[in-house]
Amino acid sequence: MLDWQQAWPKLGIVTPDTLTITETLSLKEPAPKRQYPGALVVVEGIDGSGKSTQLYLLKRWLEIGGYRIHFTEWNSSPLVKSATRRGKQRRLLTPTTFSLLHAADFADRCERQIMPLLHGGYLVLADRYIYTAFARDAARGCSPHWLRNLYSFAPTPDITFYFRAPLDVAVNRIVAGRPKLKYYEAGMDLGISLDRAESFRIFQERILTNYDQMIETDNFVLMDGTVRVNKLQKLMRQIVGERISLQQFAPKKK
Amino acid sequence: MKRADKTAIKTHSSNGSNGRPPKKKKSAVAELPSRFYGSPLPGVKPEELSGTLVVIEGTDGSGRSTQISLLTEWLESEGFAVQTMGLRRSYLVGEDIDGLLAENSVTRMTLALMYSTDFFDQLERRILPALRSGLIVLADRYIFTLIARAAVRGIGRDYLHGIYETALRPDLTFWLNVRPEVAFDREFKKSQIISYWESGRDMSLSNDLFQSFIRYQSMIKREFEYLSKRHGFIEMDGESSVSDLNRLLRKRIAAHLGIRSTHYRPSHALSHLWR
Repeated sequence: MLDWQQAWPKLGIVTPDTLTITETLSLKEPAPKRQYPGALVVVEGIDGSGKSTQLYLLKRWLEIGGYRIHFTEWNSSPLVKSATRRGKQRRLLTPTTFSLLHAADFADRCERQIMPLLHGGYLVLADRYIYTAFARDAARGCSPHWLRNLYSFAPTPDITFYFRAPLDVAVNRIVAGRPKLKYYEAGMDLGISLDRAESFRIFQERILTNYDQMIETDNFVLMDGTVRVNKLQKLMRQIVGERISLQQFAPKKK
Repeated sequence: MKRADKTAIKTHSSNGSNGRPPKKKKSAVAELPSRFYGSPLPGVKPEELSGTLVVIEGTDGSGRSTQISLLTEWLESEGFAVQTMGLRRSYLVGEDIDGLLAENSVTRMTLALMYSTDFFDQLERRILPALRSGLIVLADRYIFTLIARAAVRGIGRDYLHGIYETALRPDLTFWLNVRPEVAFDREFKKSQIISYWESGRDMSLSNDLFQSFIRYQSMIKREFEYLSKRHGFIEMDGESSVSDLNRLLRKRIAAHLGIRSTHYRPSHALSHLWR
């Protein structure tokens, strides 16, 4: 067993083997009262941790059940897209403008999708959320305090799943499947290494460290990204079912 | 002399973050503000910035652009190199913001953050390099307009100050104060119509555009009164004549630069501004 796996039970973390669902839930604070009837479930983790696959499967499960859901992805607002693309292609972005542009993207989705849908009683699923900015932009040198303020308008998720896989596993999953890592994705703007794969690895390691520091402060539900996909999905569905009253999002019977 | 004093301040502020400066030195300069509001931008060394940042703030129709044209000519004739900045002029997102404004589909927080991206792109790519090279930067509006516009739309002042805490503190900030009614006359004379954003129509203040403009600009003005106190603006009467206002601006800038405020008459190219 790896060191970080041994550390899990101490942190009150969910793994299929160490704790039962009910024990895990009792370790967490009850969810605070929201000002809206909807609910927000987000997944976080470094590239290759398996989070998108798991959220996709959760989404399929809810879709097939006919639940009122909406899926939103990091960095996908059409309003901000052209600016982000230009900035990345021409390598114009500094840590500050990289961060602000992503915050603008998030603000657009937050104001025009996430908040109205939460008020309208939807279950919103987000692939990456503000913690991505906290982990990644801080790895680029932005001040954590500045980042926290920048995103302070974001609603707090009902559940934040943090998918964690060992660095080697995650990095290999990405490098194997991608012919060429992109400039900013690999953290080349930081000037860590001229070798993209090497730079990517070091950058991801920094992000992983930043994520780990938020496990307790931000009430993450830790998920072992090395567990078999279907087994992990079963666990994820169980946790969602325990923490959120799915009945309120179920199709209305006439 | 002036330059030497400033260097001492800058050196101190950079020491303050990591090392411990000697006690004596600390007490001597504790009152003087550092070049940044909070921690400097990642990778910026304040002691490298030898130039001067002069900000001209004021609502639409306060005469900012006119004064900046004249000040640029005056400074260049005095042998100073000048760089300018303004809203929506960044290479990164300037045109994107124009597009967002035209579409009316953008919401307040997104717009505020796009403006901040525009600001920091200019700051990092144009202003800081210019200041490192010892230029004088004339800013046609700065973070204060951005803070005021977002604040009247209900975004928290502390939140906004938090975003801009990594911005550079200007050496001089002039506020050209005009009454909203005067701004309206000037704007209407200039473009014959009153624009959607300048009259705050996104805020549903009034269906009458004159009323909407006056109410919106009055709200902006109140924010500026607050910001003026918080950030020590030099308030100027924006309703006085172009030449009188220009003379007062030159006097303050000349004093700051340690040069004699020389006589200035605009060249033929700018003489139409001299009213």
